[in-house]
Amino acid sequence: MSQLLGILYKSRHFFLFLALQIICFYLMSKNNVYWDVSFFNTTNSVVARSLEVSQKTNEFVNLGTVNDRLASENAVLRKQLTDLQEMRSGIPGYKQDSLMAYRFDYTVAKVVGSTHNLTDNFITIDKGTDDGVRAGMGVISPQGVVGQVAYANKHYSRIYSILHSRQMVSAEVLNSKLRENNTVALGIAKWDGTNPHYVRLNTVDRFKPVAKGDSVVTSLQNPIFPPHVMIGRISEVSNTTSEAFHTITVRLSTDFSSLIYVYVVKNKLIESQKEAETNPGIK
Amino acid sequence: MNTQTILKIAASVIIYTLLQVFILRNLVFFDVAFCFVYISVILFLPSATPTSTALLIAFITGILVDMFYNTAGLHASAAVMIAFIRGFILKVLFPSKGLENEIVISVEGMGVERFIRYIVILTFIHHIYLFFLEAGTFNFFLNTSLKILASVMFSSIVIFLLHVYLKSLRNS
Repeated sequence: MSQLLGILYKSRHFFLFLALQIICFYLMSKNNVYWDVSFFNTTNSVVARSLEVSQKTNEFVNLGTVNDRLASENAVLRKQLTDLQEMRSGIPGYKQDSLMAYRFDYTVAKVVGSTHNLTDNFITIDKGTDDGVRAGMGVISPQGVVGQVAYANKHYSRIYSILHSRQMVSAEVLNSKLRENNTVALGIAKWDGTNPHYVRLNTVDRFKPVAKGDSVVTSLQNPIFPPHVMIGRISEVSNTTSEAFHTITVRLSTDFSSLIYVYVVKNKLIESQKEAETNPGIK
Repeated sequence: MNTQTILKIAASVIIYTLLQVFILRNLVFFDVAFCFVYISVILFLPSATPTSTALLIAFITGILVDMFYNTAGLHASAAVMIAFIRGFILKVLFPSKGLENEIVISVEGMGVERFIRYIVILTFIHHIYLFFLEAGTFNFFLNTSLKILASVMFSSIVIFLLHVYLKSLRNS
C-alpha cells in the first residue's frame, strides 16, 4: 500500500498535468454553452471593459476610412430613399414616370474650407467637374440643406452657402393642419445676414396655419433640391395684421461651423425642365 | 522559493498577459503569423521551480489569455503542456547539469545559441499543439503547418527580444 502511495506521490506532477488538461478539455467542449454564461459573465465586465478600450484606440486610428465609407453608403441610401419617395406619391390618378422618379443622383464630397460668419459665405469642396459637379447643382448635408454650387473647376467646387445674401431656397412648411386641409404653405427661405443659425422665411400666406416648431423643408417646386429635405424648424412667427405674409424665423438644422461631408445633388432632368419653362417659341 | 521570486513571477504573468492581450492580439502578419508571447511566463520560470507550481502558473496564464481570446481552455491546455514538457527539454539540452549546479535560464546563463534553441523548441511544441488543437482536425494540414512555421518564427523572435529588453530594463 505504501509502495503504491509512493508511486502515486512520485508521479504527482503527471497527475496534476492530467487533471489540468482534463479541465481544459472540459472547458473547450463546454465553451459555447455553460462556461460562457456562468464564468465569463461574472468576470466579463472587466474583460469587456478592457477589450473596449483597446478597440476604441483601434477605431480612433481607423476613423477616417470609416467616415469615408459611411458617407458613401449614405449617399447610396439617400438616392434609394428619394427614388422610393418619388415613386409612391399618394395622389390617385397620378403616376410618376420612373425617369422622373430616378432623376436625382448624389455625389459625396468633403468640405475643405468654409466660412459662416461673413455676409456672403462660401464653402469649398473637394469634388469638381471630374466627378460630375456642375455650377447650379444643389448641395445638402446629412442634417439638411447647405446651398448651391457656384463654380466648379476640375477638382474643386465653390458653393454658395445658404448663408449668402443672394442665395434663396424654395421652401415649404409641414404640419398636420396643412396636411388635413390639403394645402401647402410655400415660401422662400433667405438669410438676412445676421445670425448664421437662423434664416427668414418670407412670402408664406398669412392665412396658412403655421406655428412655432413646424419643420421647414424644400418644396416640391424645386428643380435643384430633392423634395422635402430639411431646412430647419420655425422658431418664431410674427404677423402684424396689416401684412399679407407671415414673418417667420427658421432655425437651420445644418450646423455650418461643423460641416465635414456634403452631398452634391444632380438633377438629371433639369435641362429639359428649363427648356420647357423658357422655350423662346412661346410668347 | 522566496517572496522576491514569487513577486517576479507575478509581475511577468501580468506584463506578458497584458502585452499579449492588448498589443499582440491585433498583430497578425499576412493572416498566418501569430505571436503568442505569453509563453515567456513559463519559459523563463526559474529552473528550480517544481513542476506542479509551473503547471498551475501555466494554467492561470492560459486561462487569462483564453478569456480575452474567447477560447476557453485552448491556450490553458497548450500552456500546461509546455510547462509539463519544460523539465524534460531542460534535461535533454543540459544533461550534465543536475540539482547541484542549477541552470540559469537567460542569455548569460546558457549562451546565446543554446538559449535560442531552448526558446525555439518550446515555442515550436506549443504552437504545433495549439494550432492543431484549434483546427480540430488534420484536414487543413498544409495551411496549419504554414501558420505554425510562420508563427514560430515570429513568436520566437519577439520572445527573445522582449526577454533581452526586459532584462536590460531590470538591470539599469
